[in-house]
Formats: sequence, structure tokens, C-alpha cells
Amino acid sequence: MVWLAPSAVAQGVSESRVLPSVDYRDGDQTLNAFAPVSAATRYSIVKLNVDGGTVALGTVVGTNGLALTKASELKPGRLTCWLAGGREVPAERLGVDEDDDLALVRVQATDLKPITWATENTVVGQWAVTPGIEETPFAVGIISALPRQIRFPRALIGVQFDFATSQPKIALILAGMGAEKAGLTAGDLIVAVNNAAVTNREQVVERLREFHDGQTVTLRVERAARQFDVAVRMTALPTDEEASTSRFSERFNHPAGEVSRRANGFTMALQHDTVLPPWLCGGPLVDLDGKAIGINIARASRVATFALPPDVVKRALAKLEPAPAPAVQAAR
Amino acid sequence: MRTRVAGWLLAGVLAGGTLMSAADAQPAPAEPEIPSATRDTNVPAVFVPADRTPLPAPAPARRAEWPQAFTEAVPTSLADLRQIQQQAEKMAAQVSPAVVVVQIGIISGSGVIITTNGIVLTAGHVCGRPNRAVRFIFPDGRVAHGRTLGADLGSDVGLLQITDPGVWPHAEMGDLRQARAGDWVMALGYPGGFDRQRSVVVRLGRIIQIAPEAFQTDCTIAGGDSGGPLIDLRGRVIGIHSFISLDPTENYHVPTTQYHAVWNQLVRGENAGEAARPRAYVGASPVDDAGGCRLAALDVNGPASKAGLKAGDMVRKVDGRNILAAAAFQRWVAEAEPGETLTVEVQRGGKVLTFSVKLMPRPKSG
Repeated sequence: MVWLAPSAVAQGVSESRVLPSVDYRDGDQTLNAFAPVSAATRYSIVKLNVDGGTVALGTVVGTNGLALTKASELKPGRLTCWLAGGREVPAERLGVDEDDDLALVRVQATDLKPITWATENTVVGQWAVTPGIEETPFAVGIISALPRQIRFPRALIGVQFDFATSQPKIALILAGMGAEKAGLTAGDLIVAVNNAAVTNREQVVERLREFHDGQTVTLRVERAARQFDVAVRMTALPTDEEASTSRFSERFNHPAGEVSRRANGFTMALQHDTVLPPWLCGGPLVDLDGKAIGINIARASRVATFALPPDVVKRALAKLEPAPAPAVQAAR
Repeated sequence: MRTRVAGWLLAGVLAGGTLMSAADAQPAPAEPEIPSATRDTNVPAVFVPADRTPLPAPAPARRAEWPQAFTEAVPTSLADLRQIQQQAEKMAAQVSPAVVVVQIGIISGSGVIITTNGIVLTAGHVCGRPNRAVRFIFPDGRVAHGRTLGADLGSDVGLLQITDPGVWPHAEMGDLRQARAGDWVMALGYPGGFDRQRSVVVRLGRIIQIAPEAFQTDCTIAGGDSGGPLIDLRGRVIGIHSFISLDPTENYHVPTTQYHAVWNQLVRGENAGEAARPRAYVGASPVDDAGGCRLAALDVNGPASKAGLKAGDMVRKVDGRNILAAAAFQRWVAEAEPGETLTVEVQRGGKVLTFSVKLMPRPKSG
């Protein structure tokens, strides 16, 4: 964009000064003002690396090195953590809560401080700070919308039916989707979805609607008078919101590599406008007092980052936390 | 060379179906009210509708009265940040009720009500031609109806009128001439269109640079925000969301001062300046069929028919992208320019066929 002409001044607009980038909302100068927030929280945050590359932040939730992070970013490999102050220590995976994409890890460190959870409700317009392990936050934003359920987008197996019949007969296989990969072909008749018999197209569509992107359904297929089962992976349908069917919306609203691979399907999430790279999710979202108002769980679009509110996090933690070791084992 | 179209913030095509029940009827409005700084008599209105007094001279900026945190180069303490936060929370609550989803044809954008009798500012590219039906959705899900007034596609300003009777919540007008690079500002709107569970989406940023045609902020905006307001931290509308680049700090807003020059034409329901953006015409009506998009009817003289497409064809792809719903097909056409050629892949019987469809300008009727 080069057309903002300096002649602006001549036309009655007060000035043509350009704000230096250090003074932007996420500029270094502005972030300096948030240093006290980082000071209060950076020992409650870890930076998770897999085979030496940063994949996520983690939120310290226990005195014994327990931390929560974004599960889907935690790819296989050797897990270590950078801590505030510069130490790198090993960490191990303890468990995953698929529902809200949280993973529990144990960090080999005894001097970590559990995060403090905010007790007051968040307000639209309040600061939402994403501190890292450094002395100033990584980025800041405000609460854009109050917590709501973030649904999975609708998913498809990738076929078009034959409209000459009411039977679920496949006319065409869409390239690159589950049906093609499962070996389905035009002319196949679907007779059951996950063992439930189906006799028309609408039944198939209705049953498949219960599944989301990445899940697998078992279809019983009739081909040349023989029936057999195939596992078909579901693929997300581009929705209006995601607008992947649009020539520019995908490019502008969901820039490739700048949104999380898993950005939906959360019990509840609040929306904030922090511009956060997907590999820095998993850490706490905090208020100006350094109290956590959530855990960043996904970069969802150009305008939205999602955070799981404290009650969702606490519920997930209760499921994931290892049971205390039995007394017999402790005695050994 | 501007590439405004590429970054225009049109939201999703409306994929059919009603979204909400009609709004409750409300008492007829009193005399139209001039949008003015009702809470701050030091700052007079910056414009009035055509049939009233001419545009008054802008008030001198009273920046001296603003809290310190709003005018300093950067915040330097938690106290500064709390001051900004307190005002941001207050403004979000104050202005949100006047920020509406604007649905016109297959386009969904945003708008802001600026008078109690329901005059709505939006972007020119959301408004389009005069006298089209408009559906407004409020943050609480209520719906109202209205018409498009005038638009200027050159400066990207547009005006709408709620025609349902009612006394509408409205935002005050501001004046960009009082603004400076570095001012904290707030963007409101409906990125992605209406979402029953979400309400209006609020973002905070700073003015990066000001020019008469458009100004830049780091308030991130996206498709569906088009026409939504940018407000100063006194809660006054200073800009309307217009276009973006790929950089999240490059968000462009039309200054509300742009409305002044063409105000008389806009309220009379005339398109000012540049003619309306020509819209592309494909000459085919797509419908949703179980699992895809079917061409239900074709204009025999339209581009689709001329290219060889036939009623009943199932559209598989446009320009190489899978088309899974009628809305997706409509959207590709809506975003294309007349004269552009789309590659359309269809299934006809057992065969897959590919056609090159050269789009025409939309015929004038309706």
C-alpha cells in the first residue's frame, strides 16, 4: 500500500505523520508498559520445544512442574522447556484432553510458580496480555467477545450422490477427500453408516453430520452385489465464516501457516484480538494484574485468537491430573 | 494503483434461510435527530442531513481535556494502560448497540446507526445501488428492515435507512480532523457475518497514518467488517472499515469526513461520484442439491449458456476449487469482475466437462 499520499495535509487533514512501528499496539515501546505484567507471570510460563524447535507455550498449573499446553501442537519428538532466566530442562507428556485440545506435561523444575486464576468475569474491551518467558509480553490485545462454544465446522466424506435415484448411490468422487482415499468409486451404494442401516441420501447426510473433520466413519458399501466395510476420513466443509470458497477471504482472513491447525471444537472460548502465531498458543492469557483469564488455545483468523476460560481449564485439569501415588508404591 | 477490490471486506454469501424473527414494533420516531455530541456540548455535530442546516465548521480539537494516556506517544505505566482499558470497556458497551449486521442480496457487511430515526453508515461496496432491500441484525439478534440510500464507490461510502418504525440506538459522529497518528481507536463489526452466539466483535489499536481518502490502523479487521465503525476513545465514529492488505497492521478505514462532500446525494438515494462497481453476471441460478451445487436454470443469452453449460449440470469446481454449495458458486461470481473468464467444471450424467465462462456486466434491470 503506497498510495497514502503526503498531500493529505493540503486537503484539511491535520497531519501526515506516520506512527513509528515501535509505537504500534504490538510495538516494543508499547509492550514495555506491560513489563510489570510479565514480571508477575513469566515464572509461571514455559516455552515448549520439540527436538529443539519451539511449538507452544505452557501454563504452569502445579508446584510439582505440571503445565498445560495446546495438545495438537505437541508433535512427537524430544520434549524440552525453556524457562524464564534461560535454563532448558527436559519435560514429559502425561496426558491429553481431546475435547479442548489441552495436554498435561511435567517439567523437570522445582522452582516454577503456578499461575493465579482471575476470579472476576472478563469484560469486552479489557486488556488481554500474552506474556512469554521474557521481560515484556510477546503480544497484547483486548477481549473482543465473551466466551461461547466454538463448534467444529461441518465435515464431508467427499462424494456427490446420483440424483436419478433416492438411494445413496455415489455418482462422483471429489478429489482429495476421504472417499477417494478409501477407494470408493462411482456406482457404489452406501448401505450402512457405522453399522446403522441407511436407505436414502438424506439419512446418510444426517448421520454424517454428527462427525467432524479428521474423524473416521465406517461405511458399508455395496458394489457388484457384494457388501464390504470401508473406513472413511471426514474432511471439513468450508463454511461461510471460514469462507474458503472465496478467492480472497481465505488468503486475507486465514493466511496460510498463520492460523492453528486446530482452531475450533472447544467447549467454551473467549475471543481476543491478539495477533499470536500458532506456535505460541498454550500459555496463559492474563489481565493487567497478571491473573490468568484463560489459556490461549488457537489462532483462528486474522481477527481472532481463542482462549479457554479458567473453569474449562480447571475441569480439564481435574481429568488429566495424575492420581496421587498409592501408599504401597511410595513405601518401596 | 489501488487494489481495493482484492482486499474489500465482503463477508460470506448468505447461505439462504432466515436467521431471526422480526423485531418488535416500536413507536414511530419523533423528528429526525441530528447526529451530535449529545454528551459533550463542547463538540458540536460535524454534519447534518441535507434538508437541514449546512455543514458546520469543525470544532477545535479539545485534546487538552483528554486523559493523559490518550495523547502521549506511548503508554509508559500500568496506570496509563488502566486508563485506556477503562475507556475502552466503556466505549465498547456504549457503541455496540448501534453496530449492526447489514445484509443486502448475497452480501453481508456491517454498519453503524448514527441517528435515532435509523440512518446507517456503511461502506460503498456493501451498499451498492440505491433502493435495494436491506436486512439489519442487531447485536442482540433483533432484525429490522430498510433500504439502501446512496453510495459513492469511489470513496467507498454508503448510506442506508432503517424503514421499520422505531427509535434506534445510535453512535455519535466524530471528526478525523481532531485525530492524530497514535490515537487509540476501536474497531467494531461482524467479521465472518452474523453469529448468533457471538454478538459484535471489538478490537483495539492505534491510528498509524491519516490521509483524506483512507487512514490506516492496527485494529485488525476482516471480511464481514466492511462498513463497521472505527471509533475514537470518546466513542465517536471517525471511520468506516473499507479494505485491508495481508499485513495485520494494514487495515484501512474511510474517514467519516468523506461523507460530508456527497451527503446531499447520499440522503437523496443517489449514487455519487464513480458509478457503481459493475457486477458480474453469469446467467445461471445455482441451487443446493444433496451434496453439491446444481445449475437449476440458465439465461439462454447469458454467459453460462453461451459457454455450453446446461440446466441440471452439477458444478464440481470453479477455477480449480471444489464447489460444495450454491452459495460458494454465487460467491465466486460476486467477487469476479465482468469480462473475467471462470473455468467451470461440471458433472453431466456420468461425464465430467470443463467450460470457460466469460462473465458479462450484470444487466440493468432489478
